[in-house]
Amino acid sequence: MRGWQRFKKSYFFYSFRRDPVALTSFTIFFFLVLVSLFAPAIAPHNPYDTSTIDVMDAELPPSWMDGGEERFWLGTDIQGRDLYSTMLYGLRTSVAIGIGAVLFQGILGIVVGLTAGYVGGRVDSLLMRVADIQFSIPYLIVAIITSAIFQLAFGLGRFEQLAMPLLIVIIGISEWPKYARTVRASVLGEKQKEYVEAARVIGLNPARIMYRHILPNTLTPVLVISTIQVAQAVMSEAALSFLGLGMPVTKPSLGSLIKAGFQYVFSGSWWISTFPGILLVTFTLVVILFGDWLRDVLNPKLYKG
Amino acid sequence: MKRVIMVCLALSLVLGGTATAEMKTLRLALASDPETLDIQQQLSGNMLEFSHWVFDPLVRYAQDMSFEPRLAEKWEQIDPLTIRFHLVKGVKFHSGNPFTAKDVVFTVNRMKQSVDFKGLFEAFETPVIVDDYTVDIKTNKPYSLVLNMATYIFPLDSVFYTGTDEKGQPKDAVVKAGYSFANETLPSGTGPYRCTFREQGVRMELERNPDYWDKNSPGNIGKVILTPIKEEATRVAALLSGDVDFIYPVPPQDFDRIDKDPKVNLFTYTGGRIITVQMNQNRLEAFKDPRVRQAINLATNNVGIAEKIMRGTATPAGQLSPKGYAGHDPALVPQYDLAKAQALMKEAGYENGFEASMIATNNRYVNDEKIAEAFAAMMAKINIKVNLKTIPKAQYWDEFDKQVADFQLVGWHSDTEDSGNFYEFLAMCPNKETGYGQYNSGNYCNPEVDRLTLACQTETDLTKRTAMLKQIEKILYDEAFCVYFHWQNHSYGAAKGLDVLPIVNVMNFPYIGDLVWN
Amino acid sequence: MFAFIVRRVFQAILVMVVIAFIGFSVQHSIGDPVRDMVGERVSLAEREALREQLGLNDPVLAQFGRFCWKALHGDLGTSYFHKRPALDVIVSKAPATLELVFGATVIILSFCFPVGIYTAIQPRAWFSRFVMAVSTIGVAVPVFLTAIVLIYVFGVELQWLPTYGRGVTVNVGGWDTGLLTADGLLHLILPSVSLASIMLPLYIRLIRSEMMEVLETEYIKFAWAKGLSRWRVWLLHAFKNTLLPVITVFGVEIGILFAFTLLTETVFQWQGMGFMFLEAVERSDTALLVAYLVVVGVMFVVINTIVDICYGLINPMVRIAGNP
Repeated sequence: MRGWQRFKKSYFFYSFRRDPVALTSFTIFFFLVLVSLFAPAIAPHNPYDTSTIDVMDAELPPSWMDGGEERFWLGTDIQGRDLYSTMLYGLRTSVAIGIGAVLFQGILGIVVGLTAGYVGGRVDSLLMRVADIQFSIPYLIVAIITSAIFQLAFGLGRFEQLAMPLLIVIIGISEWPKYARTVRASVLGEKQKEYVEAARVIGLNPARIMYRHILPNTLTPVLVISTIQVAQAVMSEAALSFLGLGMPVTKPSLGSLIKAGFQYVFSGSWWISTFPGILLVTFTLVVILFGDWLRDVLNPKLYKG
Repeated sequence: MKRVIMVCLALSLVLGGTATAEMKTLRLALASDPETLDIQQQLSGNMLEFSHWVFDPLVRYAQDMSFEPRLAEKWEQIDPLTIRFHLVKGVKFHSGNPFTAKDVVFTVNRMKQSVDFKGLFEAFETPVIVDDYTVDIKTNKPYSLVLNMATYIFPLDSVFYTGTDEKGQPKDAVVKAGYSFANETLPSGTGPYRCTFREQGVRMELERNPDYWDKNSPGNIGKVILTPIKEEATRVAALLSGDVDFIYPVPPQDFDRIDKDPKVNLFTYTGGRIITVQMNQNRLEAFKDPRVRQAINLATNNVGIAEKIMRGTATPAGQLSPKGYAGHDPALVPQYDLAKAQALMKEAGYENGFEASMIATNNRYVNDEKIAEAFAAMMAKINIKVNLKTIPKAQYWDEFDKQVADFQLVGWHSDTEDSGNFYEFLAMCPNKETGYGQYNSGNYCNPEVDRLTLACQTETDLTKRTAMLKQIEKILYDEAFCVYFHWQNHSYGAAKGLDVLPIVNVMNFPYIGDLVWN
Repeated sequence: MFAFIVRRVFQAILVMVVIAFIGFSVQHSIGDPVRDMVGERVSLAEREALREQLGLNDPVLAQFGRFCWKALHGDLGTSYFHKRPALDVIVSKAPATLELVFGATVIILSFCFPVGIYTAIQPRAWFSRFVMAVSTIGVAVPVFLTAIVLIYVFGVELQWLPTYGRGVTVNVGGWDTGLLTADGLLHLILPSVSLASIMLPLYIRLIRSEMMEVLETEYIKFAWAKGLSRWRVWLLHAFKNTLLPVITVFGVEIGILFAFTLLTETVFQWQGMGFMFLEAVERSDTALLVAYLVVVGVMFVVINTIVDICYGLINPMVRIAGNP
């Protein structure tokens, strides 16, 4: 409770309340995350339950248009799935992959960055060389190539079953150097400070110094990148799914819904890709806006790479 | 301004090439282009189509499935093992070499070397030259489908393809991977078009053969420019925006749009490709029970699939042979009766259903992925929980061969346009040595079907043969050996004025040499 | 400098060996390339014979060794599908991708400077606010969505512009170009606009913020005090100093632009390297895949080396030789 009181009085909360963009984007973001968390409860239909789907309902337009039905207010897709429900589940998938991928790359990057920064020497140059090499290739290429290789290595059938964890790993692998570099840069700054020196003098073991003493002081930049990285990860996932290297149509993410709808744009069934597209853009937009604001307020020294 | 227009006009004339007033240029867009320039190196729809443009077969199918004379003007059965073909005289290849009986011999022998064709031509012996324009095609056993196979014989220019090329390799080599003379060289055929340019996957140009032997061919297209457009939606958009004049296949979801657009026409034509799902009896005990298989068939609303997913451009099927085939029996109609299906499941002791895995392609047949998804949803109604995976065709057939799933989707078009081909590949007991039942991943096995199918191969009395084929079809239907969906229709989208209907046929190879543009 | 380049070359070789090995180690589990090369009716035994003949049944290490040995001689294998040397196939597709990147770059460069500068010097004008709002949203719109909208509006509804392929191309000295024909240029418009749409908002924002930062500096204030003309201050003094960071970022981002060609090429059926790569994945054309990976690896090492060298030349404060 005291913490909350202190938080309410902080500059952070003050500027948050005063900034309408931050306020709105955070509210929408929060709302969308809630919606995706509770998608199974909110959605009127369950798109994963094949027994409720009837192909005779395929491609119905939104309910306010000619031929639309009350049951499906945003219309149905080509399988006869309720588009609104499918979108909610799709958002859930996208958000889960986005947050999962950021956690994965964050943990990987932090461990590497901390080790490299704290231990230094050969370990540092080896780890950073690897990060540099990967960093020199755009993350999207890395992600596409990795998922192509994964897909071929696992066989497509297995890939689709494991698609979600695999995508988390793929997107995580393609982005970890960003964290590693940021964390290493702040560790290098922290290492010189007296409290680290003191901890070392009283004989604490390095792992404890690294994780208990240095890590908390490097978290601000990590937090700032993480917001933007969530948006990035969601977009990467959408791109992969659009290329057919991501989520299967049976368990669609927003990206695979857009891909599925693309084929029907010409035949006039615009709603199948338009609504998921709008939802995707809204989600990434609010995350980016909120992240921008966070960066401005916390103003950490970010590693520009 | 005027000058700009003049320049544009001049430019368009230059770019338009040799197009003249009466000979038009046709811009054609297909899903993919011919894989190679060697028509005997790979057996695929694309390659056969290409063969019809640049070469001519001995005979070809007319719309009523009768045989139309092409390079063979007439033929007669000499003995049970021999048919004598009389060839058209005065035909020249694009290279200028005259076409004679030795070209037919060369071609048949080369096909027997080709990995893709040797299976089909197993029964064929080396043809015997009678004179320059008469050749005897011989088989090693009485064979009822010689004429069907003659539609695959597109005579090559034996002079052009004999000898060694500058790399020191024989010109007639059939090479699957890497360089060969025939793979890389613009071919010399007898056909209505000569291929003048090819960049694989990007563009192919064909120009009308000015010395085409068939003076009765009404075709008035002077030049064909083929662009492969893989993405269905893009292909349709290209037609609607006037970038191309002729596309096929047309995805069913765009039928309405093409139909409504005043600048383009939609044509559909019955096709012979059956789409089925096989139920693997070796993997799942329940599938051994014919009642379960029947229940699955009864629970499949294939009329609904044909109507909704295929937009009425498929004919719901209750058997393998489409209409017009000898084995087709009009009495075998598709049924959809959920209550009866549930009753049968109960009777078989599977009231509570079971779980089953399924694989299907997602880019091989028209809307294959959606059909499979709809099927999975329908199975849920008789408590069969289907775990579906869809796979692109490049990776599918390996999985199919390994029989990784209980339900496996397969489409089949008879190579010989004869019912027997269906049974040989899909319904006979799988046998690694003979190769029969190669695509029977359901492991359905009925000795009676095997016996009758083999008997049909050598039975030359057509009435008897037809009765036997119908008998097989009936057995398969009664035992519900697989799930029947539908026969795919062919669909074509064309700019106004293109007279497409006369040139299409049950095979998906419009005879573009005879295409008329009014 | 020399040591730097030598190290880069070693780095490049290392990258390529690793990439090629990854490619090879998954090759045996990759869908069978033979399957796509033969008709559907061809028997198992025939396919097995063909696999044997192509050396696909050899141990992975043997195949890898053979590949490396040939690669040293400039041969990256033969594409199963195209039946030509894989390197030839990639080289023949490169012009399409490069021209697409070029088109997008031209669009970015011709818009980002005027718009960026305008929004910096007139931050309150309605146009500036509009641009900033659009560019904020623009960052969040995935490129394939932009492409679909463009296709629908300009291709399907208005029918002004072609929506697929490269149109008529001319071969100039082995380079297949679409830049010299009217048709080719028309075909280039939509793909390069949608490709540019990823980077343009970022650049406008970057130029704007850099320019605004510079406008706050002492020497600009001094320039104003001297009574120089407005345009002289803006363009000569302020803009010149925003260029350096912009150029650096541009060097790096060109690689990202290249990455996004994979998406634009797919939507517009643009026959470039990205389209080829995805087709190769679909066809399990492993020989072409491995060659592509190696080529992309080389390309990025080269791009980064050039960028680093240029950066070192422009900004002498950066020592490129040592570790940071």
